[in-house]
Amino acid sequence: MASFAGAFASSHGPLLVREWESVPAQQKERLTGAFRELGKRMRAAAPDVLVVVSPDHWSNFFLDNYPAVCIGVGAMSEGPPEAWMKAFPGRELAGHADFASHLLNESLKAGFEPAMSHRLKLDHGSCIPLWRMELERVPALVPMLVNSIEPPMPSLSRCVEWGRLVRKAIETYPGNLRIGILATGGLSHSIGEPTMGAIHEEFDRETIRLFSGSERALIEYLSEELPSRGNGSEEVRNWLVAHGAALGRGFELVDYLPVPAVIVGCGFAAWRAQ
Amino acid sequence: MRDYWLSKLFFDLQSPKVAAEFRADRDSVLDRYSLSPEVRKALAENDAPFLAQRTNAYLLRYYFFTIGMKDAEFVQRLRGG
Repeated sequence: MASFAGAFASSHGPLLVREWESVPAQQKERLTGAFRELGKRMRAAAPDVLVVVSPDHWSNFFLDNYPAVCIGVGAMSEGPPEAWMKAFPGRELAGHADFASHLLNESLKAGFEPAMSHRLKLDHGSCIPLWRMELERVPALVPMLVNSIEPPMPSLSRCVEWGRLVRKAIETYPGNLRIGILATGGLSHSIGEPTMGAIHEEFDRETIRLFSGSERALIEYLSEELPSRGNGSEEVRNWLVAHGAALGRGFELVDYLPVPAVIVGCGFAAWRAQ
Repeated sequence: MRDYWLSKLFFDLQSPKVAAEFRADRDSVLDRYSLSPEVRKALAENDAPFLAQRTNAYLLRYYFFTIGMKDAEFVQRLRGG
């Protein structure tokens, strides 16, 4: 049977690439250190397969058809389509069709109805953390795109339930694999809104604190606060999926720092496998 | 509110090919989309608050990035400045 290898979370703001040179040296050092620490923990966890939970930044989906959740079941995903991500090493990223199909089937059996795709483009949301973690070997990736871009979005509690479902799918998969989950995005930021550039450090720190507390308090706090903390903050949904997969236990902050040069409250975390 | 065709224009402009066409001959690209005169005027005037009410904030930002506007000016315009 497969086993749960651990959960990880990382911010993914585009300016971490596009405006990297304008990040002050001390913050660059901390960001680099946080990505590397996450990479170190991921290497130690040694996942064969990684479920990558990210939004789709209009790379695959449009208003014609924008799924709440889409699971990538193909043998391959395409690398990031953004021109400024062209240095990303990998135009194609191997998937794990068999586990992805198992996850899809377990979802449907449990009364969840995700969309599916046999060929997704993995944009900066998925790829910046994978790149910056400096992994020598990227695990087989099972993309899980959760809408946190175009309202209405999946509820916060549903995202936690999705995480539990991913965990169940891992534990019922017959193959002898180690399977982890990487959530990307957040913490506070605002994109294309009059508040663009605002980082809500107190919100970020309280959110981080609550990941170690009761799930109910976390959801209540986020429900109350998210509408006024910038649209990018909605990506915390992906962290909730990882939290659910970790069964709400073992959260450890790797680092948090507000970085005005990239207009994101940058958070990095891991959940111990247990 | 979502203006489908305005949003579609912004979505399509993510393609470097379409963006290059847009830079070379803006009107010929705009003619492919069913845009109201008010929306075309707002595009011509870079009226960010007007456009913001009609599309997704990420798409709006992509658009102004594509036409080469710096974030500082974009935000200033969004705030009505």
